[in-house]
Amino acid sequence: MGDKALVTNNGRARTPAMSLLARNWAFFFLVLTLVVFSFTGKNFFAINNFQNIVHLGTTALLLACAETFVIITGGIDLSVGYVLGLSAVSASSAMQVLYAAHWSVAACILVGIGVGLVSSLACGLAAGILVSRYRVPPFIATLGTQGIAIGVTYHICGGFPVWYLPPGLTEIGNAYVLYIHPASGAWSFFSRPAGIAASQIKELVRVIPVSFILIFVFLIVLWHLLKNTRFGQHTYAIGGSMDAAVRAGINTRRHLIFVYVLSAFLAGLAGIVDLFQTGTGNFTTFGAQLELFAIAAVIIGGASLMGGKGRVLASVVGVILLKVLENGLNLSGVEPFYRYIAVGLILIVAVVIDQLFPDLF
Amino acid sequence: MTRRAGITSFVGQRWSVLFFLVELVFFSAVARGFFTLNGVQIVLFYSTTLALLATAETLVIVTGGIDLSVGFVMGFASVISAKLSGRFAEMGLAPELALLLAILITLAIGLLPGFVNGLLVARLKVPPFLATFAVQGITYGTSLLITQGSAAINVPNLANVIGNGYFIYLVPGQGVSLFTRPQVAPGTPVIDIIPTMVVVTVLFVAVAAYLLKRTRFGQHTYAIGGNIDAAMRAGINTNRHLVAIYVISSFLATLSGIIYMMEYVTGKSDAGSSFMLDSVVAVVIGGASLFGGTGTVWRTILGVLILSVLEMGLKIMGVQTFDKYIAVGIILIFAVLIDQFFPELVRKED
Repeated sequence: MGDKALVTNNGRARTPAMSLLARNWAFFFLVLTLVVFSFTGKNFFAINNFQNIVHLGTTALLLACAETFVIITGGIDLSVGYVLGLSAVSASSAMQVLYAAHWSVAACILVGIGVGLVSSLACGLAAGILVSRYRVPPFIATLGTQGIAIGVTYHICGGFPVWYLPPGLTEIGNAYVLYIHPASGAWSFFSRPAGIAASQIKELVRVIPVSFILIFVFLIVLWHLLKNTRFGQHTYAIGGSMDAAVRAGINTRRHLIFVYVLSAFLAGLAGIVDLFQTGTGNFTTFGAQLELFAIAAVIIGGASLMGGKGRVLASVVGVILLKVLENGLNLSGVEPFYRYIAVGLILIVAVVIDQLFPDLF
Repeated sequence: MTRRAGITSFVGQRWSVLFFLVELVFFSAVARGFFTLNGVQIVLFYSTTLALLATAETLVIVTGGIDLSVGFVMGFASVISAKLSGRFAEMGLAPELALLLAILITLAIGLLPGFVNGLLVARLKVPPFLATFAVQGITYGTSLLITQGSAAINVPNLANVIGNGYFIYLVPGQGVSLFTRPQVAPGTPVIDIIPTMVVVTVLFVAVAAYLLKRTRFGQHTYAIGGNIDAAMRAGINTNRHLVAIYVISSFLATLSGIIYMMEYVTGKSDAGSSFMLDSVVAVVIGGASLFGGTGTVWRTILGVLILSVLEMGLKIMGVQTFDKYIAVGIILIFAVLIDQFFPELVRKED
């Protein structure tokens, strides 16, 4: 065996640059796609478009964060997509009923949000108890709660989106932090400047959607939770080796329940965000595969379904990569159907890289 | 063993059979027209596509893997076979030839997703969940491209005749006809027995069951699912075997898509989108473990029948169909809980 073979067989012999590249390939790939689409996509390289990508990706980001925690424990949560729908539909139904009963708009909205989040927490609690207490494989437990969530959702909404909601939802959900009207120099926070007519809205420069604040806060909190707290350490420990975690004195049962409840909470929050962005209580359609896209994003970010690996910010890169592809292919005039093919191919690249360079992650 | 433990053990081992019987009795009593020749045949007819997908899933799950692509491979196959048969018929081929050619080509193309799955899982050690999820996206995108997002129609009417035909036509007092509807005077009653597609399905399912239960191929499949390292050391070519398993899975999914095309005379990209999880559910209700090494085709078929009786029974009763999902969710959790509480009871037969 010559020296060459030794070098290629020994992961540590690789240059740091290559290691950095392989470890963060998703990020570099994202940069590459941004460059390519800037040339091919009409209006792709614009503040507005980037704001839109993240704004419309808020729900996907929340779902991917939810999935990150569960996947690090070695589990999987197939219910998140439909918990999102359950939360949106139950929140909007509560708002609809209360609004019809002449409650004040603020009370309707607050109670509605509460109802939506509680309904999602119930799903997470059920899944968590099944997984931790009764040792049901996560795949099955969350498939079961998914079925129940679908059924309950349709019972509430009857298979139609929920309308007749209190006014102002989309105004809140789609607001921007700062509005500037360059022609007149008028500007204001959170709503369009006084004296600017609705017909002039296209002349406004809108900076930072309010959804950024929400997602930014949650990403910081979740990133901190996973990286710097005992909760995060235990999450990795459980995913690394369940037995070792038990022997180390971690209350794995309680911890797993927390993780599934957290996952469902984030999915429920995503449902609320969807409600505020669209102004209707949408149920999740069959074949929407929101959960599978969330899982894909997490894996692209370098997590392993075997557990013990995964980072919040890497999952975020995964989501943004998928969203940029969707947006960029669209603006480049590529038929939307290619998106599925592109995502599939990228996923294969991701896992093959993960397999070929296991020591780098 | 006490008498009581004997009963628990009896129920624990056969809960799915008992559950199926309870379901049958319940719907026979409650749903009008369920327990008739037609009612039963409709349930069987409806089960065909899911039965093939679930059989495919069984083979993969026994190896400890999972195949998320079956649903969209099915849609892909329905689209390709529908498009091809329509195109061939337009080119002036006889409908029999057009259909046959389309089916053969589709079956050949349908091996491809399985081959890719197999290579990814066996050669590149990609987790089956991801490999098949990626392939699912690619097949779905491709079939959407082919149909431009709409359904593929223009299938020759012969597909309808065969797909919705019956195996036996009984004309009381006059005789029997196989496969073709007898020419009788209007008003003469003809009793249809066993949809042709059910016969086709049973044939392929039986072959798969035989393959898994009675052959060396089947033994190796269980060995890989039980412990892949041990299987390798025992001299099984696990790589080749896994590729074969995913190819067979894809083949059965393709067949399911062709049967869908014959039954509904259309090709739809998302024909099997809801069947992907249903097929896994059927396998789990049949008592297989997702960790591999257990599961039989016939028990999976029992799972399929439990699901389709539930769906059809609720439909006939006029219960809103989305209640099905709640019921399936509960059954699924119930199935695994029984597994957890009576582990030594459920696995005995495998």
